[in-house]
Amino acid sequence: MKVTIDPDRCVGQGMCVLYAPKVFQLGDEDGRAELLVAQIPPEQEDAVIQAERACPEQAITIIREKGSIVP
Amino acid sequence: MTEAVGTKANPIAFDHESPQHAENWVPEFAEMRSKCPVAWTDKHEGYWVATGYEAVVEAAREPRLFSSHKNFSPETASGHGGITIPFTPIPRGLPVESDPPEWGVMRGFINRRFVPKAVETFREDARMFATALLNRVIESGEMDLVNDFTGPVPAMVTMQLMGLPLSEWRQFADPLHAMVFTPKEADNYAEVVAGVQWVFQRCAEEYMRYCTLPEEDNLLSYFAHNEARGGNKLTLDEVLSFSNNIIIGGVDTTTALTTHGLTYLHDHPEEKKRLMDNPELLPFAREEFLRFYTPIHGLARNVTEETELCGAKLNKGDRIYLAWSSANRDPGVFEDPDTINFDRESNRHVAFGSGIHRCIGSTFARMMFEEMVAQVFARIPDFTIDYAKAHRYPSIGTINGWESMPIRFAPGPKVPCALEL
Ligand code: HEM
Repeated sequence: MKVTIDPDRCVGQGMCVLYAPKVFQLGDEDGRAELLVAQIPPEQEDAVIQAERACPEQAITIIREKGSIVP
Repeated sequence: MTEAVGTKANPIAFDHESPQHAENWVPEFAEMRSKCPVAWTDKHEGYWVATGYEAVVEAAREPRLFSSHKNFSPETASGHGGITIPFTPIPRGLPVESDPPEWGVMRGFINRRFVPKAVETFREDARMFATALLNRVIESGEMDLVNDFTGPVPAMVTMQLMGLPLSEWRQFADPLHAMVFTPKEADNYAEVVAGVQWVFQRCAEEYMRYCTLPEEDNLLSYFAHNEARGGNKLTLDEVLSFSNNIIIGGVDTTTALTTHGLTYLHDHPEEKKRLMDNPELLPFAREEFLRFYTPIHGLARNVTEETELCGAKLNKGDRIYLAWSSANRDPGVFEDPDTINFDRESNRHVAFGSGIHRCIGSTFARMMFEEMVAQVFARIPDFTIDYAKAHRYPSIGTINGWESMPIRFAPGPKVPCALEL
């Protein structure tokens, strides 16, 4: 699984950091979300799905790949 | 044929500033969401009310069509636009009452001072203020939760951030707090406005003083020494507009959030115990309090051209109130929305707004909430609220909070603290 953050939509709500702190952080320059990893480790996938659903700006897109444990 | 309910020809009876709304807002909004998520009311010279999550968020994300800009003339104390209905006769807030491209310049100028890394440097201060404020009252076994604790902590942190003298926190916090809930007709309204003007005067004085000193690590000094755009410093009016937004944004909202959250924990001791036993749940509880209580109940926008929003036909010049509080109770987005659930999955609340103006101070608010609740848990966990003597804001249309709240607790010892109040 991979994710992308749409920089035009992200306004730093921070809900992704709440649900998946090992994957997202808020940046030091403008407070918007940044990715801590390029590839989502399998044990983080559920957290990332929660984060994607919790984003009020719908700024997160999940790219599912073959072999991913989530549909 | 009668016109559909909630159009200009057939307005709804609604006033977000009315005492009836303060009393009944949950069922009132539920009905509006299901019947007409964008509806017209004739109150306050007429405005639309967006109550559905989709409508609120859609408008917030389109600043070109839904403007925040405010005009204000100090000579006549009048103007139009801005994010409050009715119009507030004080200079505009920045960046909140600006539109792109100005907004981008203004927000970009201060962003770095509000990111998590910057906010963490204030955590020790927030803890010290909370500790010192409890030291003041801990031996007596009673205090006013709002006026002695949840009010002062954010006021002091905000003053520290701005570079204002802490000793004046009471004179700063009180009029700003009162401005939020004092109706224009009230006997003391003029006094409250004068108090707010004094706050801005102090910001101006301190700013001028910082202009004559080497740069220090606070916002007023940063404004005094740095260029906001293309080689130009902020004007004094702009400095005051930033001060207005940051002080009003920071002082009363975090107070309301923390006070509301503590009432819930008081009323549900088993939930309080669960949080005390599982501190890692506190951030999830905090977000659920933000959703459920939504300290900023709603804010306005100004329609810049004819457009449609969830079926309603809006005209250029119309005003619209975006009810964050109602969006946060939309059953289409939140399962069982009228229940607080710390285990709620994917909490998409918009208590900090949505789109470009979304709260810049949320990391501060989240940190201050944590530090205040931690002090309560550690030192006065069994506090009891005297609801008979507690007062909610009579009107909650902008900020939904508590004016005062007497509490009692088992007297305890003072603890060592660098600050004595
Ligand atoms: C629980 C506490 C808080 C809540 C619920 C809250 C809520 C909000 C909301 C809803 C907005 C959006 C305004 C709009 O769309 O027109 C906003 C913006 C803003 N808030 Fe907060 N806020 C809180 C705490 C703070 C704090 C602590 C500060 C400062 C230290 C702050 C400073 C601001 C500023 C400067 C803006 C304007 C941002 C912009 O226009 O780009 N807020 N806040």
